[in-house]
Amino acid sequence: MLQLINIVKKFDSTVALNDISFDVQPGSIFALLGPNGAGKTTALRLIMQILKPDSGEILYNSQPRIKLKRNLFGYLPEERGLYQRARVLDLLVYVGLLNHMSRHRAEVEAIRYLDKLGLVDYTKKTVNTLSKGMQQKIQFIVTLLHNPEIIILDEPFSGLDPVNQMVLRNIIAQGKEEGKSIILSTHHMSEVEKIADQIYLINQGHMILNGSLQEIRERFKENAYLIESDDKIDAIKGIKDIKILEEHNQSCKFSILAKDADKKKVISTIFEKIPVIKFIQVQPSLDDIFIKLIRNSQKEYKS
Amino acid sequence: MRNIFYIARWEFSTRFKTRSFLFSTFILPVLFSLLITLPVYFITYEESVSTKLIGVINMGEDDLIEKLQNHLNDNYQLKNGSPEYIILPISVENSVIFRKSYEEFESVSRQLDSLNLAYNDLKALREKYFQTNKLNNKELLLQKSYDELITTRELKEMVEMDYGYYKQKLDSVFNKQARLTADSLLLKKILNAYLVIPENIYRLGSIEYHSLNPGELLDAERMQTIINEFIVQSRLREADIQPAQISQWLKPLRLKKYQLRAQGPAEWNFYIEFYGAVIGVVLLFMAIFTSGGFLFSSVLSEKTNRVIEILLSYASSIQIMAGKIFGLGLLGLMQVLIWLGITAIFVFFNLFQAGQIAYLNLENALFFLHYFSLGYLLYAAIFVAIGAIFSSEQEAQQVNIILRTIAILPVLLVFLFLREPESGIITVLSYIPLLTPYFMILKIAQYGIPLSSDFYITSIILIVSIIGMVFFAAKIFRMGILMYGKKFTLRDILLLLRSS
Repeated sequence: MLQLINIVKKFDSTVALNDISFDVQPGSIFALLGPNGAGKTTALRLIMQILKPDSGEILYNSQPRIKLKRNLFGYLPEERGLYQRARVLDLLVYVGLLNHMSRHRAEVEAIRYLDKLGLVDYTKKTVNTLSKGMQQKIQFIVTLLHNPEIIILDEPFSGLDPVNQMVLRNIIAQGKEEGKSIILSTHHMSEVEKIADQIYLINQGHMILNGSLQEIRERFKENAYLIESDDKIDAIKGIKDIKILEEHNQSCKFSILAKDADKKKVISTIFEKIPVIKFIQVQPSLDDIFIKLIRNSQKEYKS
Repeated sequence: MRNIFYIARWEFSTRFKTRSFLFSTFILPVLFSLLITLPVYFITYEESVSTKLIGVINMGEDDLIEKLQNHLNDNYQLKNGSPEYIILPISVENSVIFRKSYEEFESVSRQLDSLNLAYNDLKALREKYFQTNKLNNKELLLQKSYDELITTRELKEMVEMDYGYYKQKLDSVFNKQARLTADSLLLKKILNAYLVIPENIYRLGSIEYHSLNPGELLDAERMQTIINEFIVQSRLREADIQPAQISQWLKPLRLKKYQLRAQGPAEWNFYIEFYGAVIGVVLLFMAIFTSGGFLFSSVLSEKTNRVIEILLSYASSIQIMAGKIFGLGLLGLMQVLIWLGITAIFVFFNLFQAGQIAYLNLENALFFLHYFSLGYLLYAAIFVAIGAIFSSEQEAQQVNIILRTIAILPVLLVFLFLREPESGIITVLSYIPLLTPYFMILKIAQYGIPLSSDFYITSIILIVSIIGMVFFAAKIFRMGILMYGKKFTLRDILLLLRSS
């Protein structure tokens, strides 16, 4: 288990991270979310030991980070680059060697990955002759070649075409299956909703929200429903204990004011009066939750 | 430790086969050597391909031109045996102005001749009258002829004055017209140059040399030497010295210069000393700045293409920095070894008499390696720091240019150095760490081997500054490498240093 405990990091007078703590379980996907400048990349760089925290501790299986081997970690930085003049296989072998792989194993693993991602014909090509999408795949390989236990992905989906987004999702899913701890930071809430087990929202270096996706959904569940009909739905206005939230010609969003026991009664009244073709309880999207939370937190900082 | 090795090997192998390394190892030194040697070669060793026509406006003795031509024929010939110089007396006879003055002068001259004749006739007649005793009206005749003589003499004196005036005028017209003619011939490139020899050259000892190109030092110098010899000869002849004696006395002197070196006296040749020093310094400069430049662009490009973040996650900043410095240092060392190998071949097969150049020996090769290594490490640390601070090539290039200017300073100071290698300013400059390696190479070319005290002092200065600089660079590198798109000011750097 990877643990961050009371991490504080300052640059000059700016506080980048203020008392951040979280755990990442093996075999789970941990999503670090937040607006630009929230401190996500700083947190990941601290885990990668590219930066050092001002205070606090980073532990993996109770071992302090400084005592861990670098090759336990695989890192895909947000700002991605490769040696443009290098040959693909040479570059991958070099990265493998830096991660204490033998030359032979690095070569075998590199070719295996290249084959898996459909790039095996490009081993002798230089990086700058590859398309952008291919280069992105090479970057995934650079991150994973040495089979790290902890995979850290900084904004992994930004700039990826849909095909490569899927490739990456598969890689992440496979890593999870293999019991690796996966941390990713992202803006793409839709991706997070699909894959993340644990969510950690930060803004301006402060933790705003922490929990599993399910818990968070439950916590921010609204008492709101949506119905759709193939006819006009004016009749809904006559029903008791209903508050209209949004109204359109053939659909309506509303909340039920009655207590839980009476809710069923209200709902059945609706079905009696209106030819309903769709009835759902409205789930707040992560986007909505985060925008709301971040606005609130910014108001707090200002006041 | 292993990662330092891998990074070093990567840096070395990715650059070893690049065109820019091959160019700076094999082509650039040749180009540079040609660039600095050819101009001087052309000025001093130019073999004339065609005969040069030298005009002479001679107002002195008539045989001077013949003597000059003979002397030139004897001493300067083209490869095909034809004379290198042909002397062309400048003629002005076609000039209307000259002809008019000449006619005036001639008419006065004729007038004077006839007056002289008449005067002499009168004198002869009077003598006859005087000696003849049996002359009837002797007194009268004598008186009459006397009056005529006086009149003629007065007339003659007046015409003589005229003669003097016209002669002077003619000379001046000749002088002016001849110069005009010579100038136009010079402009038409018919003449390569022309000389103006005054009437009383042996007394005055001064002549004029005219040419379109004042840089034509060689021809002017030759003419000066030859005519100077004529003047000396003429003056010696006036002192009744025998011609055989004169030519013996005037036999030219050849000077061979020797310099006392550690290995004993060695023949001193300006070109070898000068170019040895300059080429040595320039090679050192090129070696340091080739691998230093690679280092610099390696750091900068990894920062701009963000590869550095991947590297930093697998290796510490110290490992990355050390790997780069050593890898590219080996590249520079390889370059120097290739040069030394080529030099060794030259010495071994004695091409260009390389074997006789005193400073080309194994010991100095080792000194060169020593100062290259120390110089490189110092500059490498600076380059790493600069590469890490700046985030665009353009900004960093400006600093790079300043560094290059500092490092090329010794090349510009070579003349100063050769004239006074022991001077205070040279000593001070050679103890400035950034310049030390270059000045030591200059000193080695000058003295054969450096003084051991100098060797120890400079080595210690360099090692201490390398340690300090590497320490400083490591801090800057670690902090600067992750700061993208930020412009660093001096204050930021100081803050960085204090905070780390």
